Amino acid sequence: MSDSYAVDVQDVHRRFGPITALDGVTLRVRQGEIYGLLGPNGAGKTTLIRTIVGLVAPDSGTVTVLGRRMPDLDVLRGVGYMTQQAALYPGLSVEENVQFFAAINGIDGEAGVRDALELVRLYDRRKSVVSTLSGGMRQRCSLACALVHKPKLLLLDEPTVGVDPQLRVQFWEDFRKMAAAGTTIVVSSHVMDEAERCQRLGLIQYGRLLSEGTPAEIRERGGSQNLEEAFLALAGQPS
Amino acid sequence: MSPHRVSAITKRLLQGFRRDRRTLALLFVAPIVILGLLGYLMRGSATAPTVGIANQDSGPLGAAVAGALHHSSLINATDISAADGDGKLKDGSIAAYIVFPPAFSLDAQAGNVAPQIHLEGSQPGQNAPVLQALQAALGSVAARAPGGLRFNPSVHYLYGGQNLDTLDYFGAAFVGVVVFFLVFVVTIVSFLNERSQGTLERLMASPLRRGEIVLGYMLGFTVLALVQSAEVLVFSLAVLKVHNQGNVLLIFGMEALMAVAAVNLGIFLSMFARSEFQAVQFIPLVVVPQLLLSGILFPVTTEPRPLQWLSDVLPLTYAVNGMRDIMIKSADLTWPSLELDAGVVALFCVLLIGAGTATLRRRIA
Repeated sequence: MSDSYAVDVQDVHRRFGPITALDGVTLRVRQGEIYGLLGPNGAGKTTLIRTIVGLVAPDSGTVTVLGRRMPDLDVLRGVGYMTQQAALYPGLSVEENVQFFAAINGIDGEAGVRDALELVRLYDRRKSVVSTLSGGMRQRCSLACALVHKPKLLLLDEPTVGVDPQLRVQFWEDFRKMAAAGTTIVVSSHVMDEAERCQRLGLIQYGRLLSEGTPAEIRERGGSQNLEEAFLALAGQPS
Repeated sequence: MSPHRVSAITKRLLQGFRRDRRTLALLFVAPIVILGLLGYLMRGSATAPTVGIANQDSGPLGAAVAGALHHSSLINATDISAADGDGKLKDGSIAAYIVFPPAFSLDAQAGNVAPQIHLEGSQPGQNAPVLQALQAALGSVAARAPGGLRFNPSVHYLYGGQNLDTLDYFGAAFVGVVVFFLVFVVTIVSFLNERSQGTLERLMASPLRRGEIVLGYMLGFTVLALVQSAEVLVFSLAVLKVHNQGNVLLIFGMEALMAVAAVNLGIFLSMFARSEFQAVQFIPLVVVPQLLLSGILFPVTTEPRPLQWLSDVLPLTYAVNGMRDIMIKSADLTWPSLELDAGVVALFCVLLIGAGTATLRRRIA
């Protein structure tokens, strides 16, 4: 049953005017796995994530999150969402931002905020005003805001864009730790070496799911040892 | 200095405007709207104030002057009895009334022309035509009489009085309007930031309900607005010494109501702007016409008829009228007119809260 899936997307279509953003996407994310959404810019990754979180209503098809049909405000208590751009209040400190997102998710108390800030290694900078932070620190603060309420499902829209390689490795370590603790993570990316770290991948292009499977399966299907080449082969494009 | 590079900048600028319809509207439509409105207001204001005439004179002079007043183009004369005068002033059906006392002709023969002029007094702009019309009417009569007449009218004000200056008249309205517009601008810009920095998207992906967001915003800005209202009020009364006959708490209440309306107007209109620049463009397009039509500068009763209809549906008109009633006429909540004014502003707040919440849903989901 869909209870064993954290996310269950069934034949979702969505158009924005003349542009078809999602063209019949069906995918299932199992509880506790790291699922990578892979595809070029404009493939529909962000729209798919926004549909999962209920920000975009599908024209047809259904989205079920943590066993509940979306849109459903109450299920969002168990969902963390990190947008592509580090969406923070620049005039507030790191700590105040995280406290705010904790509060709107119904979490009070300092312990959760401290845990989140320590996880992203910003506890020492908690008093810094966000507008004074570097891009990488803002991304980390944004991540802390997305996970402060200890969500069962974490949706990350290109979380490592603009993040240096060192921090990217740290991010992925954090994701693995959270997944090990039972958090389901859906992460979009167009960076292939990140894709290798996911348990399963969904390849998206032109609003359709081209292929789905473990990185090894994708490589095999695409007939290449290199994930990038496999992806291009599956997308039917010569490099 | 390379003309080529300079022209590249010029060209780029004009290319950008080609797609920015809103800015083009601001540049080419707003001036026509604003100037057209101003012209219509000033030239078209043909509605002369209605003036009651109570002729108690036993002699011929009162009737002669009253007859001349009826033919005056400056005022719209109507015969009333002196006993009804104050009541009609209060309900606004007349702007002034003139009484020719029983001994008017006799006194005039003694060289003393003493009509009684009763002015409403809360709108300085309406006093002048009444006095001018009376002077002209007396002049036409006096020209036929032997010389040596002394024009010695007694002037009574229902509200305010001679000491009511322009600041007193405008101050009452501006106390509220200043708060209204500053709160509006701050809210619209701040709510736009919420959109442009992406945090609104995050709020929408949280268990927060739309109404909770609008209400939270409203309360936050209302706190700021109340502090600002108190500051403006204290400054106006204590430093500028703006004339006030009313209950200070009532003024504050009306200001607060206007501030809440401004917050919700800001939230609502922020849905139609995509940048702070666009938000600021709402000021000449939305705000200036409201200012012109709210009766702050030109009394609504003297506006051309079609503009009066427009004024009657703008909430600011009621807010301004309410503030004036409180401060100049010492109105309280037992006055039906003040109940109407406060009620309309409150209703406007409720409608905007609903509209803001509804548009929030439409733009995100």
